[in-house]
Amino acid sequence: MRSSFAILNDVTKCIGCEECVAACQKLHKLTPDVPPPRIETATDGLSSNRWTSIIRRPGGVFVKKQCRHCLEPACVSVCPVGALQKTPEGPVIWDGDRCIGCRYCMMTCPYGVVRFTWDLAIPSIRKCTLCYDKIRSGEIDKPACVTACPKEATIFGTREEMLAEAHRRLKAEPKKYIQHVWGEHEVGGTSVLYISHVDLSFLGWTNPEKLSGVDLPTTTWDVLKMVPYEFLGMGAVMGSIWWVIERRMRLQREQSAGRLSNTDEGEDES
Amino acid sequence: MTRRLGIFKGVLWFLFGMGAALIGVRLLRGLGVVTALSDVTPWGLWKGLNVFAGIAIGAGGFVLAAIAHVFHGEKYHPVARCAVLIALCAYSGAAISLFYEIGMPWKIWGPIVFWNPHSPLFEVAWCVMLYLNVLLIEFAPTVLELTHFHGLYRLALKLQLPAVILGIMISTLHQSTLGTLFLIMPERLNALWYTPSLPELFFVSAIACGLAAVIFVTLLVDWLYLRPHRIEMLAGLARYLVMVLSFYLIFRLGDMCRHGKLGLIGRGNLASWMFFGEILASCLIPILLFAASRWRRQPWVLWIGSSLCILGIVFNRLNASGIAMIWATDSHYFPAWTEFAVSFGLISAMVLAFLWMHEHEPVRSGLFSEVQNLRRLQIFQLPRPGQPWAGDLTFGPRRTYSLLFVLAAILGLALTPWHPLVRSTSVQRARGKNVLLLGYPTGTVHFPHADHIKRLGQKACATCHHLHRPGDTGTPCSSCHRDMYLPTKIFHHSHHIKVLGGNSSCEQCHPAGLPASARSVRPCSFCHRTDMMTSNTVVTKFDSIDAPGYRKAAHTLCIACHRKEAKNPKWKKPDLFRCATCHRTPVPHGIEVLRSRARPRTTPAPPM
Repeated sequence: MRSSFAILNDVTKCIGCEECVAACQKLHKLTPDVPPPRIETATDGLSSNRWTSIIRRPGGVFVKKQCRHCLEPACVSVCPVGALQKTPEGPVIWDGDRCIGCRYCMMTCPYGVVRFTWDLAIPSIRKCTLCYDKIRSGEIDKPACVTACPKEATIFGTREEMLAEAHRRLKAEPKKYIQHVWGEHEVGGTSVLYISHVDLSFLGWTNPEKLSGVDLPTTTWDVLKMVPYEFLGMGAVMGSIWWVIERRMRLQREQSAGRLSNTDEGEDES
Repeated sequence: MTRRLGIFKGVLWFLFGMGAALIGVRLLRGLGVVTALSDVTPWGLWKGLNVFAGIAIGAGGFVLAAIAHVFHGEKYHPVARCAVLIALCAYSGAAISLFYEIGMPWKIWGPIVFWNPHSPLFEVAWCVMLYLNVLLIEFAPTVLELTHFHGLYRLALKLQLPAVILGIMISTLHQSTLGTLFLIMPERLNALWYTPSLPELFFVSAIACGLAAVIFVTLLVDWLYLRPHRIEMLAGLARYLVMVLSFYLIFRLGDMCRHGKLGLIGRGNLASWMFFGEILASCLIPILLFAASRWRRQPWVLWIGSSLCILGIVFNRLNASGIAMIWATDSHYFPAWTEFAVSFGLISAMVLAFLWMHEHEPVRSGLFSEVQNLRRLQIFQLPRPGQPWAGDLTFGPRRTYSLLFVLAAILGLALTPWHPLVRSTSVQRARGKNVLLLGYPTGTVHFPHADHIKRLGQKACATCHHLHRPGDTGTPCSSCHRDMYLPTKIFHHSHHIKVLGGNSSCEQCHPAGLPASARSVRPCSFCHRTDMMTSNTVVTKFDSIDAPGYRKAAHTLCIACHRKEAKNPKWKKPDLFRCATCHRTPVPHGIEVLRSRARPRTTPAPPM
């Protein structure tokens, strides 16, 4: 058992054989023969039955896409029932029994990784779990895709080891790589790291500067943590406005009633 | 019953029937059958229109409750009752919509048991639930009044004011939290809509939308039931609306200015036009129309201003929840017709419920002398026997409505696709001359010819045709698509094995003695020889299997004459490198020439 799980993908080494995809589908008993129902939308090749895929880029570049297992995962933060969880070891896992299918996690994932079984009447979200439960139970010692890779383009270890290895490779062959470790700082850091000779910003939704270092959960939590104060404050304001106006109106009524009774008395006296 | 009311209700019953049938299909068969949603666009029309816009429209309930009860705006009491009725319908609609919109409706109780306070959606779920309960407390005296539980009735009346204030507190939270929902998607939402002030903007615009909805619905009801318009009251609301909208406009533009985004409006692209349209409809036109006190007392001005304001803010919600994300996701999501039918069906049902409750509102309030003073806070009142009702007719032509409902439901069921929708892709959209339908059974494989030309550009033809290879008879798809072993969008390997007879079928595509790889495989046209013919005259005549290489074509067809012609200095040399020199209609020199000079057909030889 490792203390923290991480994967380093070296894009320069990947030959695009898709052995990792097949191994993943075999281990997780996914049905490989069913072409995904909304193929044209899954341009990255991921589907509810394909938790990792190889993206073919121009010039014979192959990039393995999978869940990035963010250190501060947006999907975990937004799930209204806590069906997604960040394990202490690092992998972000999901619980299909608890999922209600609201698909908010799919909206918020900065890499667009989470998938939904649209064709099932009893659906669920699905995504890569970094083989967390199998490693935990001792069935395997590293994720299926890592074991399957014939070129060691994908390696497994702790995040510190992987970062050190990435920087070692960048330093050893500075001309071969772009001097950047994808996943070191983006959205607060991810457990799945990439080094590459091409730009990998296509893995996220849009321009990379939007993924710079800011972890997404704080954007909403900064607002949400004010909720109790907003709630009570609004109640206090509304209650006091009602009380002030009510009191004034009552006084006014009493005053006019008093004036009325005064005149009544005056009439009596006269 | 008036004629216009009858027609209006008939249309609503029809839409309701169709929507109800399709909701049934969705519950039985799953989301994939009824919606065009995808992994890239997981939220669509149902969330955008029925939940986000619906809750904004229902905001009138808490705004009018605040004006009438907290700020003691006594003259707005009648319209406050209408506003709470709108809120009840809109929120019920949103809750029902959420019920069938989430993947597993039977787990909708999830957020009550499993807590995640970090999630905005968790907060929205709780608020909608609580607010519906608050609305029910406001509704409770109406029912209790008819029973003998007088103590409970008095208690419910005393709870009216706390309920109103609690309703305002809850509404403040969830109206702004609907904006918070999108704060976590800076990479998806277009910069014109994304701002850290989204919660505040959503709250303010919801107040405006709620006010506009109250004006619009009051006008509509008065029109439907042929009553005089209550102009004075509505003009007062329109005045409030101008204030709120002006604040919203200044706030929104100021916020953009603060983040240096004002320049984005002038870009002239689709996003900026959408933004401009939204501001125009939701703010500028209503403000201008309602600014002058004489103008806002005109019924038609109230009609136009309020409806435009609602449309603008509904458009804002649709933009924020999906349309303004198309630039990031590059998706082509357009709601399926079934999604529209369900959305409008639900809205129709809610409008019908509103009209029913409105018709059962008594004209005069009851006469419990001891609670008369408290009773002015009671929001709904059901009539007791013998009391006149607001509606002219309570149930109208029941039979016609039932018939319309059932007919629409049958129509909806008949037209429903029972298999998951595969959205029309660029390939299927291009179906026609340029798309080859191949495969077994016919039509299972779509080869988008035009799409290939578009993607490959000018070199398109030479990528597949007329390659100068020995024995080149048609280029296999696998020469470019190297990943055909795995299920991909262009080829289904396992299906071919199944159809061609299991393991013994390998040799039909992978020649014996050669390693089974993409390099050695036979071209698709080896089997799909007739399927792969295009509509081009030349290729139709000369089977694509026999299509000669460029060199062979030129040497057998052209060279005999053109060698002679080429020596003539007056003769303009043809652009031999251009495809269209030969491939055009009419075919150069006529089809007979080509046919006479073409070599006799040979049996196709597999490449390599």
